[in-house]
Amino acid sequence: MAQLTARFRTDNRRYAVEDVPFSVPAASETTDLSHLINKLLAAGHDHKYVEFDFLINGQFLRMPLVTHMEMENISTEEVVEIEYVEKYMAPQPEECIFHDDWISSVQATEEWILTGCYDQTARIWSLEGKSIMTIAGHTEVVKDVAWVKQDSLSCLLLSASMDQTVLLWEWNVEKNKVKALHCCRGHAGSVDSIAVDCTRTKFCSGSWDKMLKIWSAVPTEEEDEMEEAANRPRKKQKTEQLGLTRTPLATLSGHTEAVSSVLWSDTEEICSASWDHTIKLWDAETGDLKSTLTGNKVFNSVSYSPLCRRLASGSTDRHIRLWDPRSKDGSLVLLSLTSHTGWVTSVKWSPTHEHQLISGSLDNIVKLWDTRSCKAPLYDLAAHEDKVLCVDWTEAGLLLSGGADNKLYCYRYPATASDVGA
Amino acid sequence: SIAHLSLCQTSPRSGPERVQSETSPSTPSLPVGLASDPSWSHPRCPDELFGDSLSLLLLSEPCAGAAGPAGEPEPPSEAGSCHQPLVKGSGASPAFPPSPPDIRNTVGNIPMEWYQDFPHIGYNLEGKKIYKPIRNKDELDMFLEKMENPDYWRTVQDKMTGADIKLTDEQVDLVHRLQKGQFGDVHFNPYEPAVDFFTHEVMIHPVTNRPADKRSFIPSLIEKEKVSKLVHAIKMGWIKPRKPKDDTPTYYDLWAHEDPNSILGRHKMHVPAPKMKLPGHEESYNPPPEYLLSEEEKLAWEQQEPAERKLNFVPQQYRCLRAVPAYSRFIHERFERCLDLYLCPRQRKMRVNVDPEDLIPKLPKPRDLQPFPTTQALVYRGHTSLVRCLSISPSGQWLVSGSDDCTVRFWEVCTARCMKTLPVGGVVKSVAWNPNPTICLVAICVEQSVLLVNPCLGDKLLYGATDQLLESYVAPEEERVQPVQWVTATMEEHSKGVRLVVQHSKAVKQVTWHGKGDYFASVVSDNSNMQVLIHQTSKRWSQNPFRKSKGLVQCVLFHPIRPYFFVATQRYVRVYNLLKQELTKKLMTNCKWVSSMAIHPGGDNIICGSYDSKLAWFDLDLSTRPYQLLRHHKKALRSVAFHKHYPLFASGSDDGTVIVCHGMVYNDLLQNPLLVPVKVLKGHAMTLDLGVLDVLFHPTQPWVFSSGADSTVRLYT
Repeated sequence: MAQLTARFRTDNRRYAVEDVPFSVPAASETTDLSHLINKLLAAGHDHKYVEFDFLINGQFLRMPLVTHMEMENISTEEVVEIEYVEKYMAPQPEECIFHDDWISSVQATEEWILTGCYDQTARIWSLEGKSIMTIAGHTEVVKDVAWVKQDSLSCLLLSASMDQTVLLWEWNVEKNKVKALHCCRGHAGSVDSIAVDCTRTKFCSGSWDKMLKIWSAVPTEEEDEMEEAANRPRKKQKTEQLGLTRTPLATLSGHTEAVSSVLWSDTEEICSASWDHTIKLWDAETGDLKSTLTGNKVFNSVSYSPLCRRLASGSTDRHIRLWDPRSKDGSLVLLSLTSHTGWVTSVKWSPTHEHQLISGSLDNIVKLWDTRSCKAPLYDLAAHEDKVLCVDWTEAGLLLSGGADNKLYCYRYPATASDVGA
Repeated sequence: SIAHLSLCQTSPRSGPERVQSETSPSTPSLPVGLASDPSWSHPRCPDELFGDSLSLLLLSEPCAGAAGPAGEPEPPSEAGSCHQPLVKGSGASPAFPPSPPDIRNTVGNIPMEWYQDFPHIGYNLEGKKIYKPIRNKDELDMFLEKMENPDYWRTVQDKMTGADIKLTDEQVDLVHRLQKGQFGDVHFNPYEPAVDFFTHEVMIHPVTNRPADKRSFIPSLIEKEKVSKLVHAIKMGWIKPRKPKDDTPTYYDLWAHEDPNSILGRHKMHVPAPKMKLPGHEESYNPPPEYLLSEEEKLAWEQQEPAERKLNFVPQQYRCLRAVPAYSRFIHERFERCLDLYLCPRQRKMRVNVDPEDLIPKLPKPRDLQPFPTTQALVYRGHTSLVRCLSISPSGQWLVSGSDDCTVRFWEVCTARCMKTLPVGGVVKSVAWNPNPTICLVAICVEQSVLLVNPCLGDKLLYGATDQLLESYVAPEEERVQPVQWVTATMEEHSKGVRLVVQHSKAVKQVTWHGKGDYFASVVSDNSNMQVLIHQTSKRWSQNPFRKSKGLVQCVLFHPIRPYFFVATQRYVRVYNLLKQELTKKLMTNCKWVSSMAIHPGGDNIICGSYDSKLAWFDLDLSTRPYQLLRHHKKALRSVAFHKHYPLFASGSDDGTVIVCHGMVYNDLLQNPLLVPVKVLKGHAMTLDLGVLDVLFHPTQPWVFSSGADSTVRLYT
């Protein structure tokens, strides 16, 4: 079959073409179709060349048209409706920030980047890659970091460590001084993940000891009463140094293995991923277990997008799986994105785009995905020379990835015009 | 008896009828000796004929008559005692002249040796003693008499009287005849013509005049009954008349097809003998012209290969049958035909038509047996020499590896981060993490000592409590003799994490913990009974459980549940009951050299890896021989491991691969374990001809670690 009839459609009115069926070569690929649309647009009025991407029934076209339709079981007899969007620009590498040791976690805001490092410190960097602050205080590897509050004057931030504590720090921006306000004690294992809720008054931590604990993130002047009086003087000295001891508000137990990732999916809902092959949803207010999603592999990371209301999970195989957290029957995988060749250590949804997410893997590659193309990612960011351990995506369109090669890579990923239009 | 004797003498040749008829009435008067002689009834008994000869003998020598018949020394001894009455009779007969002194001995037929010591030899008729004749002949006299007396040869001594008797010519003659087996009587002719008293010919007159029986006139009832039985059987068809013989001759039909119902034909694979082609027109002596070959055809026939020719002869035309010459190839063709017949295989070879797929045991597909490790996920790099041993913390968060670069490294499992490096100053042969989750302690074999190290990883409370536990030891009052020395670590060592050093006398090659985490066993490279030692950490007390060495111990193992202790020597695994202190079982591995062993968490199954690349699975309830022997590896097995929860076991080998097998043990005692190899994991580079040195499963996940000679540790998930 040489020709197919296709009708082109777009949501972006700038690039709209006539709604009539066109006859296109069956073997044409994205570039051919893009040329065709550009020709059509150029015929109408003044037009600058734009690259387009094409979707058929919500799936990106990544191969010759006829092959794609065969694979998707779309009849070639009827008129095919092809949607086209402006092609997403490739992320532009911006900075490469060198650390002294492996980077375990990263979280960025509009101004600063906070990283947790295996040299037992957390670090604050400017977006330009300038080291601003090194926060030392933990006695073990820092496993996760989080911003709590940002002002022009002072910021609150959290760091979780393998030494079983979470430290709440206050960073005075003007003086560039950091002070440990609270030391959150209570976990009996390495604290692997922390998440701050949207009201910025509470945070949740997940630990290797299979527990989730909810803490207050509001700094106070008084120390919580520690239950155990048998603390040895040496430890007490350390706690005195590192601020006031804080005890958890609530403890959520139910996982049978280590908790690897936590997040707040709603104001009162906590989602936790664990090594026991489950993702559990908790009611933060009552501490009840709401539902369980069961997979068949260890979960390394989980991310939630409020835009599309999907959970994305990275596990100890090469797939990224999308889940619907509201489905009651539990273990239904909506989609799996497969292209990695190693464990997926970290996933992060785009805060601005409902279809896009990035993932980092042990195969040293960070991938940018569009859920409309589950066979192949949009872009591979292959800059790391060792395992990628963490990724982040800021609202400003900055992609961050840190790994075992001690480097933090920053990419600028511009929001395309089509996103604005959509 | 005299009358009888005379009768015998007078009419010896009278008819037997008469003898019989006349002897029977006279029997009562016969002397007892004669009547009792059974030979008497026979008409031709030679004994009867002795009568004459003996009487004759007695006539001529009356004195010898008494002794003669009984004559022991030489003459007719067979004449015997039966004739004695005759002799007596004859002796008493008035026909003989009376002997002047009757010196007859009356002692009777007794052995005369009885009178040897007496001067007399018996008693005569009057009861007087008969004295022995005076004999004073010595040997010389005897010899002289033998030389001088011409009658010496016919002189005999009468034992009854002791007198010498000279035999007469007649007597000597008689003796000679009897010795030859001839009749005593010279005149007796044993070959006289016989007279038939009853002839075989049927004579017209009956022998007797008796009238015929009645039963010979009337029909026999028994015969009638027999006949009626036969008639009935014929009527009923039980007896059939004999078939008339078929006289038509049978010929073998050479050209007929073989009978399909014959014994050979019924055989499924039978091939009938190949038939010869029937002769056609071309074989005729005068074939029709179309069968004759033209010149070109003849040429073509000659050029063809003999095997390819359509005809093996050239059809030829002869004027008459008489003109046909002898066929030159006749013998050759017959010979070929015979070869065909006897070399032809008459039976198709039975080929078992089995699909090779069917011979493979029905095993479930590996896909259905998930989860099991399939791909390499992480590589733990950092060691600089081969990594000999691995162990994992009970929670599965930390991994410890010991290497030939004299260090022990502690790794974070999920990121392959080396958290700690502990230089120990020697090649690390074995490491073992305490299986008790409340104790944070690692035993490390370094040369001659076992180090107990607190890695200070994980929960602070736990490793603090472990230190407290070790410090709370109070030395007992009296010093006990121990095979090893327990030494508390120095301050410098303490800061590195070493808490206790157990110093052995020889190099230690393996250490393993008991499930409760207080006891551990160490294996020493030695060949005495000090090879295996069991230590108690809390009391710092060591003991040697074995009095005698049973061979070179390869590795030891504690049973996870019961108080059993497994000791693997080169070929056997011995199971000891630690409570009863006795040998419970001895497992035959069928391997040449056991390298490693692991026990199923259920405790009823054991796997043994061996250097001859075999893996033996033992079901302890089943037998002391391997339930299954797996030969998947190409080279020596170095290590085997069981998973704690999943039905998985793995083996690492010198060929650089780890083979993961599904090993399902059922609770049902009747169902044997199901062993399915599911995955070959490759990744380790071969270094110094060594591949994988140790394998280990993650305690909670279906992941397997392997350490290799390429100084890496790899995790497969």
